[in-house]
Amino acid sequence: MTAIAADALKVTRGDATLIDNLSLAFGETGSVALIGPNGAGKSTLLKVLAGLEAPRAGSVRVGTGDLALVPKALRACMIGFLPQHFEPHWDLAVGDLVQLGAARNPELAPDAVANILARFELTKLERRRWSTLSGGESARVLLAMVLVADPSILLADEPAAALDIRHRLDVIAALAERGRERLSVVVVHDLDLAFRYFERVVVLVGGKIAADAPAADLIADRRLDEAFGVRFERIRTAGGWSLQASKETT
Amino acid sequence: MKAWLGLGATLLVAIGVAACAGHDWATPADLLHAIGGDRDLRSRLLFEWRLPRVLAAALVGGLLGLGGAIYQGVFRNPLAEPYLLGSAGGAALGATVALLVPLAVPQSILLPVLAFAGAWGATLLVLGIARIAGAVDAAGLLLAGVAVAAILGALRSFLMLALSDETVSLQVVLSWVLGGVQTPTWSVLGWLALMTLVCLGMAALLASRLDLLGLGETMAASFGLDVRRFVALAVLAGSIVVALAVAFGGLVAFVGLAAPHIARWLVGPLHRPLLPASALVGAIVVTLADAIARAVLPPAEIPLGLVTAVAGGPFFIFLLARRLRA
Repeated sequence: MTAIAADALKVTRGDATLIDNLSLAFGETGSVALIGPNGAGKSTLLKVLAGLEAPRAGSVRVGTGDLALVPKALRACMIGFLPQHFEPHWDLAVGDLVQLGAARNPELAPDAVANILARFELTKLERRRWSTLSGGESARVLLAMVLVADPSILLADEPAAALDIRHRLDVIAALAERGRERLSVVVVHDLDLAFRYFERVVVLVGGKIAADAPAADLIADRRLDEAFGVRFERIRTAGGWSLQASKETT
Repeated sequence: MKAWLGLGATLLVAIGVAACAGHDWATPADLLHAIGGDRDLRSRLLFEWRLPRVLAAALVGGLLGLGGAIYQGVFRNPLAEPYLLGSAGGAALGATVALLVPLAVPQSILLPVLAFAGAWGATLLVLGIARIAGAVDAAGLLLAGVAVAAILGALRSFLMLALSDETVSLQVVLSWVLGGVQTPTWSVLGWLALMTLVCLGMAALLASRLDLLGLGETMAASFGLDVRRFVALAVLAGSIVVALAVAFGGLVAFVGLAAPHIARWLVGPLHRPLLPASALVGAIVVTLADAIARAVLPPAEIPLGLVTAVAGGPFFIFLLARRLRA
């Protein structure tokens, strides 16, 4: 059963075509890494899938309906979106921020906020203000805000890119793990993490899909080298594969 | 809870002090006599003139504090203020037209309507200019606001010079521009109180969506807020509040800026407590400022706007410096 699908999407900005006749479907569960060089249209695609940007042509379907026709409140409940950067304008407390996320799902259990705070080890920080949090703590708060409403679809735009490696691992692992019960689509910058943690990898180049396959199959695929314009050396490690890039010489 | 009791008690004390203050100081006992229905001339003066004036000042201050908090929430900017963003100037221009241009509509209706139209139009203009200039941030909004306020001020001055004659006194218009609470009758005061309550209720309906907007436009949209529509709605609501404040208190600077800040220190940044707290702080500030305006240079009265500008200007500079350094 398809949870969310893009149908012949086209997105333009000015003269530039950001997404070019792109079709893609995601099931109800699964972890998907979206990778590609800068300017490939990853962030744009994610925003269109989340209903935050309207496509020029084509449509996004959720379940059997058109996403554009879904009421905004329902969409907010169904799709969780993790932006690349998040900085609230007011210095709210952690508990209040998570409460704002919880408010979008009216059918939530009363202890949902307490549970999510506990799950992301934020219980002790509940009364702390946003400005006093470290990078790792604020990343966990953002995750808690989005996940507290238990959206069936999670779309995340490199939320861990600015974190140090330990916190990046925590966040990526949490996002990928969600794919066991729900759908989790994540733009991932670090290719090693993409292939190690995610089941399916979609490669985007110039607003089109260059490759779309299970991670284990795609790792050996030459299209990966083409997509990034480099030559990858694939090194077998205990945790999976490690990709080492060098400039193409041919 | 402590903050609310403190605010309420401070407001009551401020009203008491302000009711005593004036070129002829009254004692609390005099006040009680006057409220108790004493028919003596002094008591009647207190009851008919000073008390309504003091309460009107408190309500105008409450509206200014509320309007400022709504504006800061919509613009997600702690430096946003009706006075600085030109909407108070727009309201004053509308009011000037209502006072000076002879139209077939009674002034009591025309004045609030034109004040509202002016406030709303000016805010949309400032927002539009900042958006076209590509900078809907503190600097862009403030610069656009300064430019729009200057243009509106020039238009207003021109109207004042061109249209005032013996029949319409320049004094009336001038007292608006400089800020000053008119002394209302008790029935007008009741109407103002009712409208202030309506505004507080309207603000309460906006509170949770203002919180969402404070998360940033992308996050707010992903949490289900129709950002563009809500901003338009909230600007409209803020303009109603500002127009009401300007209609009764003229151009009073900096209260709308300072009150939300003080309220944020007391009750935090969530809008459900912030909006009423900011209204209370505004009420306290304007009640006291109006008392100073009446009592410092008897028998003359200093325009209220001058008192708040002298007190609020340094506060604004302090905030600006802190923000630019951060």
